[in-house]
Amino acid sequence: MPLRQELGLRAFGANCWTGEPGRHVVPQHSETSGDEELYVVVRGRARFTVDGQDVDAPAGTLIHVPAGETREAIAEEPGTIVLAVGATPGESFAARGWDEVVVAFAKARAGDVAGGRAVLAALLAREPESWEGDYNLACFAARYGERDEAFAALGRALAGGPADVADLARGDDDLAALHADPRWAELVG
Amino acid sequence: MNIAHVDELDRIEMPEGFVWRPVRRRFGIRAFGVNAYSASAPGSQIVEERSESDLEHEELYLVLRGRARFTVEGDEHELGPGELVFVRDPVLRRGAVALDPDTIVLAVGGKPGEPYAVSAWEAMFAAVPAMREERWDDAIRIHEEALVEKPDHPALLYNLACMEARGGRGEEALAHLRRAVELEGKWAAHAASDDDFAAIRDDPRFPAS
Repeated sequence: MPLRQELGLRAFGANCWTGEPGRHVVPQHSETSGDEELYVVVRGRARFTVDGQDVDAPAGTLIHVPAGETREAIAEEPGTIVLAVGATPGESFAARGWDEVVVAFAKARAGDVAGGRAVLAALLAREPESWEGDYNLACFAARYGERDEAFAALGRALAGGPADVADLARGDDDLAALHADPRWAELVG
Repeated sequence: MNIAHVDELDRIEMPEGFVWRPVRRRFGIRAFGVNAYSASAPGSQIVEERSESDLEHEELYLVLRGRARFTVEGDEHELGPGELVFVRDPVLRRGAVALDPDTIVLAVGGKPGEPYAVSAWEAMFAAVPAMREERWDDAIRIHEEALVEKPDHPALLYNLACMEARGGRGEEALAHLRRAVELEGKWAAHAASDDDFAAIRDDPRFPAS
């Protein structure tokens, strides 16, 4: 549940994650951006693992994870909800757009490709210099049948991003539909 | 990683009736403000009625347990577990009353466009138990720690002066009170009628209102 995007939060990031037993309610990740995060188990129960340490977290549990520690959480009861709040100490909060990318793909998977495209377009309009925005647009366009647009966006991402964008692209299933096109070898190698 | 259940958080009963359950302070969070609140009984205040005009924070409230009736600029909203209120406009007056026993509300806040800075009121709230028990040295220490980050915060200096006057540190109290008034003149009028300063009011250096 993309709270920041839905509510228009501007001072911190916030999202809710829901899951049934055995499913992730916090995907495994670390915050390389410098964000510290607070997780709140709103309903149900989850098992958190932070840097290898397991923690049982019933409803009402608060878990603070500094940047850099690898964390994930798996629901242990039906209807588990976890609220995640995050921002970087010492910096003004700025949305990084990953939540909008998630929303865009979710809309498309639900059949609203135009709606998903509009979310990505708004993200790119806000951050026109972001190679990540172009990369995600390439993935979206490749998934949903717009090869020309996908190659154009991927070209911009490769030109504007770090050297390992090509490696990222080679291992990304979202871009599989482009592999047979001669432009793929030219761009990605 | 730091972990706590809401029921393990400190309980600091405030004179206004709500119970502050510090989260940011417990975990040392520096990127946003976050606290939990409970109430002494159903029908009691659980979120202090106020605006955020001074700090200009936007605030997100989450009912974590029980039920609460929020009032935002006169509009009432009854919320149950898992329901949220977002108050973007800091000018709006907001507050909440607990409707169930054991109601817990979580509040998250910050000022858009600026890095988060710890609010001075946290130290003043944190010092309440020490003040109530007349442990003036502890109350003074809490204020001094906050002043390291905000050395020219008039309200912190004024409160520190109150604690020092109560604790028999007249010279320090006068110095901090005079500095508070120098930074913000309104504190002279407060001091004129504040019982905390009974021990130093007759000193010729006491600021005139």
